[in-house]
Amino acid sequence: MSDLVLSTTPLEVERERSAVGTLRLVQTACILVIALVIISPLFMLLVASLKDDRFQILADMGSFRAFWVSNPTLSNFAEVGNLSGELAYGRYLLNSLIILACTVGAGLIVNSMAGFVLAWGSLRGRALMLSVVIALYVIPQESIIMPLVIMVSRAGMTDTFTVQIVPWVASPLYIFLFYQFFAQLPKELFEAAEMDGASVFRIYRSIFLPLSLPALATVSILMGIEAWNQYLWPILVTQTDYARPIAVAIATFFGQDSIYWDRAMAASVLMMIPILALYLAFQRWFVSSFVGSAVKG
Amino acid sequence: MGNRLLSLLEASAALGLLMGQAEANTVIQVMHQGDPGWVSTYGDVAKRFEAANPDVDIELIYAPHDAYNEKFSAAVMSKQLPDVMELDAPFLANYVWSGYLQPIKPLIEQDILDDMTESNVAQGTYPIDKELYAVGLTDSSVVLYGNRKYLEAIGARIPKGVDDAWTREEFEGYLDKLSKVEGVKWPIDTFRGYGIKTEWITYAYGPILQSAGCDLIDRKSWKAVGTLDSDPCVDALTMMQRWVNKGWVVPQSSGTNQFFAEGHPAALAFGGHWIYAEAAASMKDDIVVMPLPKFGPKGASPNGTWIWGITTASEHPDIAGKFVSFMLKDKQYRDYAREDSAYPGLKSFAADSPLYSTGGPMAVAFEQASKTAIARPPHPAYPAITSAFMGAVDEIFNGGDVKAALSAAAEKIDEDIEENDGYPPFDEQQ
Repeated sequence: MSDLVLSTTPLEVERERSAVGTLRLVQTACILVIALVIISPLFMLLVASLKDDRFQILADMGSFRAFWVSNPTLSNFAEVGNLSGELAYGRYLLNSLIILACTVGAGLIVNSMAGFVLAWGSLRGRALMLSVVIALYVIPQESIIMPLVIMVSRAGMTDTFTVQIVPWVASPLYIFLFYQFFAQLPKELFEAAEMDGASVFRIYRSIFLPLSLPALATVSILMGIEAWNQYLWPILVTQTDYARPIAVAIATFFGQDSIYWDRAMAASVLMMIPILALYLAFQRWFVSSFVGSAVKG
Repeated sequence: MGNRLLSLLEASAALGLLMGQAEANTVIQVMHQGDPGWVSTYGDVAKRFEAANPDVDIELIYAPHDAYNEKFSAAVMSKQLPDVMELDAPFLANYVWSGYLQPIKPLIEQDILDDMTESNVAQGTYPIDKELYAVGLTDSSVVLYGNRKYLEAIGARIPKGVDDAWTREEFEGYLDKLSKVEGVKWPIDTFRGYGIKTEWITYAYGPILQSAGCDLIDRKSWKAVGTLDSDPCVDALTMMQRWVNKGWVVPQSSGTNQFFAEGHPAALAFGGHWIYAEAAASMKDDIVVMPLPKFGPKGASPNGTWIWGITTASEHPDIAGKFVSFMLKDKQYRDYAREDSAYPGLKSFAADSPLYSTGGPMAVAFEQASKTAIARPPHPAYPAITSAFMGAVDEIFNGGDVKAALSAAAEKIDEDIEENDGYPPFDEQQ
């Protein structure tokens, strides 16, 4: 029966189908190659973290041996994951988690509030304020870092968790992202709530915020990555290991004379896990926010 | 309930007492860099010092090697300079000129000062007032390492000491021959993998210029134009560019330590004293340590390393000096340094370092210190000098025009000096 159907299919249609099939095959192959290129450094990182000889890691780089470990060991993880001692990487990891959680938590509240006020608030000069926010975004962090160091040291904030959280909570980029998201929501939502006698804060908290999951997810991930990878700022404003993050601790493995690849790789793997978990937790909304913004043009 | 309240009050009182005692302690901040081994060693030294001096707390401030200068700048700007700081010797003149360091002689125990090698004194001395501003257990040098098997395969002459170092012709001839030896992927590793974020290029390649008959800057007039871009310098860097172009040098992308990596793909290494221990462990009897070649009329080698100074911001310089003295005498600190094949800067440490004594495998490195070592320019403009030179070398190794790159670097250095009015009183030295 199926042979009969196929035999009745015009030749052009069959050719087209075959071309589509070939195209799909090529596309899949391309995607696989790209995926392999993206995943291979991460896989190499994981494999290297399971090797116990830093010179072996170096010797294996640049060959297929970089992707294979004959005698895997967790000794590097045991060494970098401890919670006490001079090189308490486990403690640095905890410090980073505290900084990440506080920065993202406070950042979501502050930036979403600012974005909401800019989109729906009754303040005068909202357009001007929005322009200022956008203008602030183009100022590179490096250009203000030293004056900022002086400011925080005069305020007696150095060597604390606060100094690594507070300056990065409010961000022009994330305020703008929230503004854009809130501004796209229907006006009727705001008006109906206002008619019911809800205050602006109530409208924000009970109606607009629950609707902004994609924006919250996007900002969480972007802000989380930013907070997690901070390197220069913690070096400049922390003195001791009290509040130092993992990114600074990993730098000890890159000495003047030698690089401790084995432990650096293990610490990097540990450093990757929380940010990966954050991404996986918010992935659904994160992707939908991008799809949404693409559809809305 | 009453008992519980009493216990709570007692505990609070004890805690208060303890806190009161802690508050009464003098805190000495010590800023340093280093890999995990050194970080751990400094931590242990601090604990031993605190045990011996219960009224002092040592607060260690770690700054990663790559971001040390940024951390230092931030400390200066926020007026949070530590009491004791580790500093790279060639930056000493800049720090003293800027007023960040104080003379260290009155603060360090006399037997340590008497114990310093000439090169150690030189690296810690400010040329204007001839005062000592920093002291270290160690110094440094670069030697030419060779793989005995490969050298025998080409019938190379093995120098016995600094006086019979290879000439430029011999060296280049051997590079050419080595490039054809089976198993040799690259004739030489010049440790390009260290990149331009470290001091390596200025430290290790500067002596090639000095050996060739020029310098990074004229050390009397303090002008770079006419010196750094002079014919001998252009010739020396053209020579190095040729090595790179011929594929004789381990590329930057291949990382470091190819000399003793598995399979030993590099036949020679223009490497620091610090790689000896690892190279010897990997190569056993195949490692040969030779003096740096003579690229012109005289031999030249680098010196200088990370040393300890006491800042002008210290409110307790006497205690800071006591800590530095304690650290330099600390047995475990010395043991760790020796295991790390550290180059002696104190005579007592040299006597205790069989690696560097006469007949020792690294004796030639120690011989260089007294015969060919040339310090990097002891001038406040050194940060600008090293940055400009490293940029030029990077450009040259990537195919840039040698003369143009060196001229641009020289002009940049002179501009920095002019912008600072000649860094008086250095301008009066001419």
